[in-house]
Amino acid sequence: MRTHYEKRATKRKLKAFQEYKLSNFAASASIVLAILFGLSGYDLFERTVSIPFLVLAGIYLLFGMLQLLVSAKIRSDIIQRNTIQATTRIFGFSLIIALLTGNIFVAIAALDIIKKEKSIEYMLSIYMALTNICIILISALNLFKPYVADLFLLGMGILLAVSVLHIAAMILIGLFVKNGDVSRHLLPLAYLLILTAVTGNVFSLLLGLTLLHKIRHGNKEVLVTWVDIVRRLFRNAMAALGLLFITVLLSLSICSYFTFEYSLAVENNYSTLLLSPSLEYPFGTDDFGRCVFSRIIFGGRISLLVGILTTLIPVIIGGLLGTVSGFYGKYVDNFIMRALDILYAVPGMLLAIAIVAAFGANTTNLIIALSIGYIPTYARTMRATVLSVSNFEFIEAARACGAKDHAIIFKHIIPNSLAPIIVKATLTIGIAVISTSSLSYLGLGVEPHIPEWGNILKIGSAYLESKSYLAVYPGIAIIVMVLSFNFFGDGLRDALDPKLK
Amino acid sequence: MKKKGLSALLLSTLLVIGGCEVATKKDVVKEDSKEPSVQKPVEIVLLTQSRDETDANVIRDQLSKSGFNVKLNLQPDFGSYTAQEKAGNYDVAISSWTTVTGNPDYAVRSLFKTGGDYNKGPISDPEIDELIDKAATQTAEEYKETYEKLELRLVFDKAYIAPLYVSLKSQGLNHNVLKESSVRLSKSRSMVWEAIDFVDGSKRDKDPLILQQAISSLTSLDPIKGNDGSINMLNTNMYVRLVNLTDDDKITSEGALSHRYAIAEGNSDYYFLLRDDISFAKIKDKLAVDSGERVGAEDVIFSLNRAKNKDAVPDHRTYSLHEHIQNVELVTDPSVLSTVKQSGASGTIKEALEKGLKAPIHELTSNKADVNNQSGKYQVVKLTTTKPFPQVLNYLAHQSAGIVSKKQVESINTFDVAKYDVNKDISYGDQSTVTEGATYNNALAASGPYILSYKNDYEAVFYKNPGYRKGTEFEPKISKVVVRFIKDADSALAALRSGEIHVYYGIPETKFDLVQNDSKLKLQTLESNGVAYLLFNLENREVSKSEDLRKAVLYAINQDELIKTYNDNKIKASSTLTPLVKTGLELQADSNKVKEYLKKYAESK
Repeated sequence: MRTHYEKRATKRKLKAFQEYKLSNFAASASIVLAILFGLSGYDLFERTVSIPFLVLAGIYLLFGMLQLLVSAKIRSDIIQRNTIQATTRIFGFSLIIALLTGNIFVAIAALDIIKKEKSIEYMLSIYMALTNICIILISALNLFKPYVADLFLLGMGILLAVSVLHIAAMILIGLFVKNGDVSRHLLPLAYLLILTAVTGNVFSLLLGLTLLHKIRHGNKEVLVTWVDIVRRLFRNAMAALGLLFITVLLSLSICSYFTFEYSLAVENNYSTLLLSPSLEYPFGTDDFGRCVFSRIIFGGRISLLVGILTTLIPVIIGGLLGTVSGFYGKYVDNFIMRALDILYAVPGMLLAIAIVAAFGANTTNLIIALSIGYIPTYARTMRATVLSVSNFEFIEAARACGAKDHAIIFKHIIPNSLAPIIVKATLTIGIAVISTSSLSYLGLGVEPHIPEWGNILKIGSAYLESKSYLAVYPGIAIIVMVLSFNFFGDGLRDALDPKLK
Repeated sequence: MKKKGLSALLLSTLLVIGGCEVATKKDVVKEDSKEPSVQKPVEIVLLTQSRDETDANVIRDQLSKSGFNVKLNLQPDFGSYTAQEKAGNYDVAISSWTTVTGNPDYAVRSLFKTGGDYNKGPISDPEIDELIDKAATQTAEEYKETYEKLELRLVFDKAYIAPLYVSLKSQGLNHNVLKESSVRLSKSRSMVWEAIDFVDGSKRDKDPLILQQAISSLTSLDPIKGNDGSINMLNTNMYVRLVNLTDDDKITSEGALSHRYAIAEGNSDYYFLLRDDISFAKIKDKLAVDSGERVGAEDVIFSLNRAKNKDAVPDHRTYSLHEHIQNVELVTDPSVLSTVKQSGASGTIKEALEKGLKAPIHELTSNKADVNNQSGKYQVVKLTTTKPFPQVLNYLAHQSAGIVSKKQVESINTFDVAKYDVNKDISYGDQSTVTEGATYNNALAASGPYILSYKNDYEAVFYKNPGYRKGTEFEPKISKVVVRFIKDADSALAALRSGEIHVYYGIPETKFDLVQNDSKLKLQTLESNGVAYLLFNLENREVSKSEDLRKAVLYAINQDELIKTYNDNKIKASSTLTPLVKTGLELQADSNKVKEYLKKYAESK
């Protein structure tokens, strides 16, 4: 009885420390990756050993083990003293090096443990800096190519400068943000960070806005919903990781204009057909001699764009239709919803295939085709929320004050009904990405030479047995992206849920 | 202060990286020429179907690099591709042609002659028409020069088509089970079942030979009613023909119904001396039995007459292959044979037919039951063509010229062809009569080495014809043949590798190495008669009006790169004639010519 109670008490104690959770996660993720690298380093059929993979596996295993030690130390600290000792926190500094090997899990855990008082600003600055470093590391792989893009040096220079700024910001925030109070001197920094968001770094935008907001309001504890939501979102490590991956992808999509050479991804090169992965071509080359790594980077641009647009369009159209039918009810409601029911009756994928087959395969048609099928579900979600929101007293009050219908809809109803639809949207982006890839895989998406993950996967599927890497890497990219959106969506739902506050 | 520091930092980083000597695209890829490019790029619509996506990608790449703005009209299947082709929504279309009969006339006539069945361009050039007709009357030695002229005009002078490549035929076989040398791979001829043998000879009567075919719905088992992948292999092995093609498309009477054949002077009359050791098989209780009826001259005459007659059966699909046949008749007077001279050789027809025979021609009979080759009693059939046309023999070796039983076909096709009702009348060879179930009523009479017993959606089962050349080397070795219907190419390859099927015909180029690396499998490849080419739209497009524009496209095509993409498993082509007639002409990609012709085109506008 007693031991059982003790166990639960320890569990609760450990649960209170995010550092412990993160550290455990980082350790297991590193070890799993080490095993994966180890497996790919040894060819079962040919009985050959790939040294680079084994070295990588060794390094990941080493960091995984070190992280495990840190975990154990944290555990004993928490159990004995109910706090993490400063000596334990120092370990974090040494583990930051893991970032250089691309092990972001250990790096995040390390940065997390270093600081005792973690403000949301500090967390954001960690992810912001990490995003940028990831972009630099990924772009730097291009140095092994026979040649790089004309703007490569400029792009890398800017990225490095931004990185320096981000690290400086991280340190400054660590020093000057105390107990959630932001010093006024950080105002220029806030503007600079918002400026660096043009690289696609969502974190720096969020951080800049948060700083700006706090400074504007003189650090008074005004109820700022979105800062609160962000804080709760970052309490969920998986959601933050998901957002990190999405941000990296978004940022890559933008930065690749400078740092990646498009011709290597689309132009055939008959002297480099079907090469195995090497430093020059990290994911190998396909049957037309194109660099699969570059293709996946550029393909992310289309997948992300189509994914986001095919979610945004039905969110806007469906959302508006749902609001109108929920607000006015009766005939309007009946008319709109029955019309949408007709659309709902047609399977989305079939509708998309029909539209693309009729109007031709290109990106615009693809976006339209995939968007239309999603409209009814959003309209239904929105309508349900609006129905409940319009019965609240504040709507009645607004009406009593003589507010016009459109004012009530746009000022009161829509802002208060957005939460479910936002969550639904983030979860659907993943599905939209898969749909895009499915259509491309069927030959109905974008033109075959344009890099898109479904297209890349299609070529890979023909060589599944002899050159499996052609299918594995685009497959992993799709999986990770969809998972990221799902984790992020889950996290967002929890963050938006008033019951979980 | 901070900003100054930042810019200094940026500058220093740039310097550091710059010092590493990173080669940028500008340094490596030199601009070809600084001369002003020819106005704006010419737009070209490339029509293709998903199956040819690899070709489309390479051609799109090559044309774009040559300064064209390529728009891809990619259709998911053959049906929608043909619809687009008919509508004329293309400048160039990726097309392909396989000369199934193995003779050059078939490779050009319907494709390039004015008004031809498959002339989709359409090409209408009197000089080409004339050359095609001239070559048709010539023998193999003479027509080479004519076809060279034709190729020159068609491809190099006028650029009506742009050749891409000749494909390989490929076949994988399990050599743990089958004797490798017994499995033939021929250029045009379908698989020769009767020759195939097991490594372990004792298995011949116990185990079936298991083959694969993609299509399970059989067009018709009447040889003249179909010419497609669903029945070509099956009918070839169910019906014997007057002559056959060797593996490299020469005419031979080996494994055919005739002992020998001879061409009479003038190239219009053809004589065939028939064998007496083949009789029709029929199915009784789902097993093959000898019907006792010999395959004779009356069956040959009946079969060839109905082959050329469009109204012989409803939905006749092969009459155009046999339109050169004017008359088929029985020769009963042996003296005719000794008076007519051979074509291109001294000596009479009789001498040509008797060469190598055990018993010389002693008597000719009209009754097939009376034939006895050992005692010198023979049957001779004479075929006359509408005009001198030596290549007619190739059509006689085609599956559609298979010999059917006059008695059996006439007893089944009792309906009036003009009033044929698809719901009521069941014609000879209808697949419903051999499909397991209520409609099963197998009335086939097979003159070939095997006969189809029954089929379902999963497989078709054949048994050896007990009356087919018994005791000779041509007697079928294996008693039972099973043809599995496996639609998906990957599944079929998996079936071959797992040992479920013994031979898989038509392995995709990308999977060659898988078969080669498998120790129990053997890959056979052979240059095929299939040629891929770019067809120009010759109606109402820029490419139809401008020869220069067509030539610019022609010289932008680099066949070597295309072949490399297929891992060197394709062969250079200069027209659909390439696999049949080696004219020596070769297409070389030439970027200077492309520029020159594009310039000419721009000036002419």
